[in-house]
Amino acid sequence: MYDAIIIGSGISGASLAYELAAYKLRIAVIEKGSDICSGTSRGNSATVHSGHDAAYGTQKALYNVMGNAMFDQLCSDLKVPFIRNGTILFAINEADMEEVRRLKHNADKNHVPGVEVLDRDGLLRIEHYFGPDVIGGLYAPTGGIVCPYTLVIALCEQALRNHVDFFLNNKVMCIQKNATGFFVTTNKTVFQTRFLFNCAGTHADEINNMVSSNKITILPRKGEHILLDKKLAPYVRATISQTPVNLPSGGHTKGMGIMPSVDKTIILGCDAHDVTDKDDTATTAIGLDEITSYFEKNWRHLPISEKIPKFPHNRIINAFGGLRPHSTTDDFIIGESEDVAGFFNMAGIESPGLTAAPAIAKKIVQDAAEKYHFEKTDVFIPTRDHVKPFRDMNDEERRQAVMENKEYGDIVCRCEMVTKAEIKAAIHSPLGATNVNAVKMRTRAGMGRCQGGFCSPVVAKILAEELSIDLTEVTQSGEGSNIFFPKNGNQAKRNSQ
Amino acid sequence: MKTYDLIVIGGGPAGMAAAISARENGCEDVLILERGSSLGGILNQCIHNGFGLLTFHEELTGPEYAARYAEKICALNIDYQLNTTVIRIDREKKVTAINADKGLQILQSKTIILAMGCRERPRGALNIPGSRPAGIFSAGTAQRIINIDGYMPGHNVVILGSGDIGLIMARRMTLEGAKVKVVAELMPYSSGLKRNIVQCLDDFGIPLKFRTSVVKIHGDKRLTGVTLARMDDRNKPIPDTEEFYECDTLLLSVGLIPENEISDEAGIPLDPSTCGPVVNNDFETEAEGIFACGNVLHVHDLVDFVSQEAASAGKNAACYIRRNGLSNKERTVRLFGSDGVRYTVPQILNPDRKDEDLTVRFRVGEVYQNAFISVFFNDQCILRRKKPIVTPGEMELIKLRKEQINQFPDLKSITIKIEKG
Ligand SMILES: Cc1cc2nc3c(=O)[nH]c(=O)nc-3n(C[C@H](O)[C@H](O)[C@H](O)COP(=O)(O)OP(=O)(O)OC[C@H]3O[C@@H](n4cnc5c(N)ncnc54)[C@H](O)[C@@H]3O)c2cc1C
Ligand SMILES: Cc1cc2nc3c(=O)[nH]c(=O)nc-3n(C[C@H](O)[C@H](O)[C@H](O)COP(=O)(O)OP(=O)(O)OC[C@H]3O[C@@H](n4cnc5c(N)ncnc54)[C@H](O)[C@@H]3O)c2cc1C
Repeated sequence: MYDAIIIGSGISGASLAYELAAYKLRIAVIEKGSDICSGTSRGNSATVHSGHDAAYGTQKALYNVMGNAMFDQLCSDLKVPFIRNGTILFAINEADMEEVRRLKHNADKNHVPGVEVLDRDGLLRIEHYFGPDVIGGLYAPTGGIVCPYTLVIALCEQALRNHVDFFLNNKVMCIQKNATGFFVTTNKTVFQTRFLFNCAGTHADEINNMVSSNKITILPRKGEHILLDKKLAPYVRATISQTPVNLPSGGHTKGMGIMPSVDKTIILGCDAHDVTDKDDTATTAIGLDEITSYFEKNWRHLPISEKIPKFPHNRIINAFGGLRPHSTTDDFIIGESEDVAGFFNMAGIESPGLTAAPAIAKKIVQDAAEKYHFEKTDVFIPTRDHVKPFRDMNDEERRQAVMENKEYGDIVCRCEMVTKAEIKAAIHSPLGATNVNAVKMRTRAGMGRCQGGFCSPVVAKILAEELSIDLTEVTQSGEGSNIFFPKNGNQAKRNSQ
Repeated sequence: MKTYDLIVIGGGPAGMAAAISARENGCEDVLILERGSSLGGILNQCIHNGFGLLTFHEELTGPEYAARYAEKICALNIDYQLNTTVIRIDREKKVTAINADKGLQILQSKTIILAMGCRERPRGALNIPGSRPAGIFSAGTAQRIINIDGYMPGHNVVILGSGDIGLIMARRMTLEGAKVKVVAELMPYSSGLKRNIVQCLDDFGIPLKFRTSVVKIHGDKRLTGVTLARMDDRNKPIPDTEEFYECDTLLLSVGLIPENEISDEAGIPLDPSTCGPVVNNDFETEAEGIFACGNVLHVHDLVDFVSQEAASAGKNAACYIRRNGLSNKERTVRLFGSDGVRYTVPQILNPDRKDEDLTVRFRVGEVYQNAFISVFFNDQCILRRKKPIVTPGEMELIKLRKEQINQFPDLKSITIKIEKG
């Protein structure tokens, strides 16, 4: 019997787990994926939005600004890289400037700190180049960047250290309410809990509708991104996009932007398309085309165009898609359900959800703690122990690292300089990686320019050794995604799957 | 701190041949740094034959060819460190390397030879839409899995790209009992060697479809299929030509990229067409005393040429040390490829230092039949040679005699062109 069960381990579930762990509660997180962070929090624009554009008066605006302010402390506690690189919206005509002024007004009402309307010279004081057509823009200095899955993993690892249980590969199929709480049935087992927290991303409507008669609808809205090689990192600093007037996707997106990632790759995106499949994050020809043609056309406005004059097709290393859990109410659905006591929603968490989630979680937990008299523990550890990645070490630190552990001298992923020591650590970490993608998310092995061409078989071998399984049992992303088969046409094993 | 005469980065055929030749030309302290667990580079996984026809006049497998050089390395007592990754070099010829036993080492050398080979272009670089299931491999990775690790990457295969590795893998997978359904090639010609198309596809009845590409990837956990479509001249899919192929494996053989991260970070200028360093006729990069050869310089299809080029680089490194480090670069002549010639190697000629004939290697951008390869000294055509066929898949070479070059005291540029017949 648990006190609290959280369904979903994206940024919402992870933030809640971390907040709840500060109380004397038995807590579990249930996740259908083969790893934590299997949904939208895995692939998004990775921007910690300032809150200048969230419509005043909405929950989105409120929690965006609150969440943004929490990032310095949170990321420092969890040892997660976070950079306030600032956000710029540039304008190329008077209509754009009109929008810039409207956004400034909105930002002020939202209490976003430091937002400025700048003319061309003002912009050039922040970035030393813009294309000749750029006449001015909006500058939001509190905009930042974070690696979303690194943050989610850190939150989950820390929750686990504070005794939260995690159950992967458990898909919630049905929920029954009884006098003391809920029976939560998954494809594997049945859990019992007093309080239930719904953080199921695009599936949050299904979960809510199993319990509450206040039905909600979540529509998956796809957004795609293109990643460029980190070689371009010196030319991209602030998060930059065009004022979102007349964009192909209209108001559904924060506009086509270019931003650095904390790992120094460059992210381009994103578009927005309503889709029907709630798990289909596949990239589409239309989406990728939309992004490339947009940037081909508008590259010349960007600061990077000073040094790299044309959109560098040959620097594309990858593309990925994500699904915004868009609620038909057009706002976050958060807090205790009106008709079911003890059932809490953190649903419809679309952009700026990554930014807002820590603040929403805090608020939900505070309210619940107050109403149900949760008691704080005095053993909660908020700060995470974390070893610096080898690629970030200087020569002396590297020398030291190899001296202490020889396997730091064995570089497995050449592009991102990930060592065998780190891959083993990821496998043996609190929420240990059990497949190749899970190792990748924790170490960046395979995320560089060669995209795992060399290292993914090596990572698979290390997984087999460390988990004492056969190489043919190693998967890319959980059950059914095996990578190797026995030689000599032995298909029996495969056909039986 | 000890100073090496020569540090060779990479112990593939290029690195080995360079080290041997440097030693034979008088280099004392030679060290090869290789990140793999044995010498031989990519050859270790190429268990097919077809190597060494030019060098040894017999057909060897990749490992056999490599072994001939590795034996020589041992016979000449050339020092090497395996499982050792070079992470940085600089123009002062300091080499930073890491391995498990010695940890982080900073080594000083008088010369460096870059011989890091190349890597394969991944799926991401192609921007193919769709999901990201297991079962998508670059062809070289699949080759490693079968030939070195002893596993199968899958059983029903589509291959995208008709580069040599893709062709060889079509045969290899077939021999291992897999069904290779089709090889799709975006271009109207193959970038692989003719002999590989015959021996690896035709002999096994595997269809090769030109002007065709993968437009969608299907499958959630493991690949379930790909959609192929015919492409128009702008490389956009032609509507209604889509065809679904059920498969559990997609191999990509869509190009190789010289592995020049450490060269680039050291500020060594690269040629955007080859993605390798710009070199002169000594195979010296624009950083003095740093030479390059093999696939890191430009992608080769025949290992014999790699070995030749590397031997020359090794010898020149030895000369450089004998000259006491001074490069005589007073006169420089630029080499250009134009009218269909994508690049030349070398890109620069220092005629004052040229005491032998000049070999220029180059590749063309498309297929030409009955065309002329013409060489211009400044604006003057000095050579025109008819070729029945030149294709992007096969590296061409042209030899310019020393006397020919010396007859042109005010030579500024050498241009190689394709002229239609
Ligand atoms: C293209 C795109 C760009 C974005 N850019 C930004 C940005 O730059 N800044 C920003 O602040 N926000 C951004 N967002 C929004 C942000 O990514 C989301 O708000 C956030 O990730 C949502 O997190 P979540 O935890 O609610 O959902 P998810 O991360 O989807 O987590 C839900 C989890 O629940 C699990 N689950 C679902 N159903 C069940 C079940 N039945 N049983 C068990 N487990 C289940 C899923 O597997 C998943 O792991 C972007 C979104 C998209 C799509
Ligand atoms: C699949 C395939 C089939 C082929 N078939 C034929 C054929 O039939 N006939 C033929 O003649 N030729 C063939 N070739 C071509 C020939 O094998 C190559 O051109 C040749 O191997 C290139 O030699 P190299 O030494 O430049 O590169 P490689 O063989 O790639 O060697 C480079 C070495 O450098 C090492 N290295 C790289 N970076 C570092 C670093 N930072 N630190 C330390 N070490 C490093 C690598 O580990 C590697 O061992 C084939 C090639 C391939 C890939």
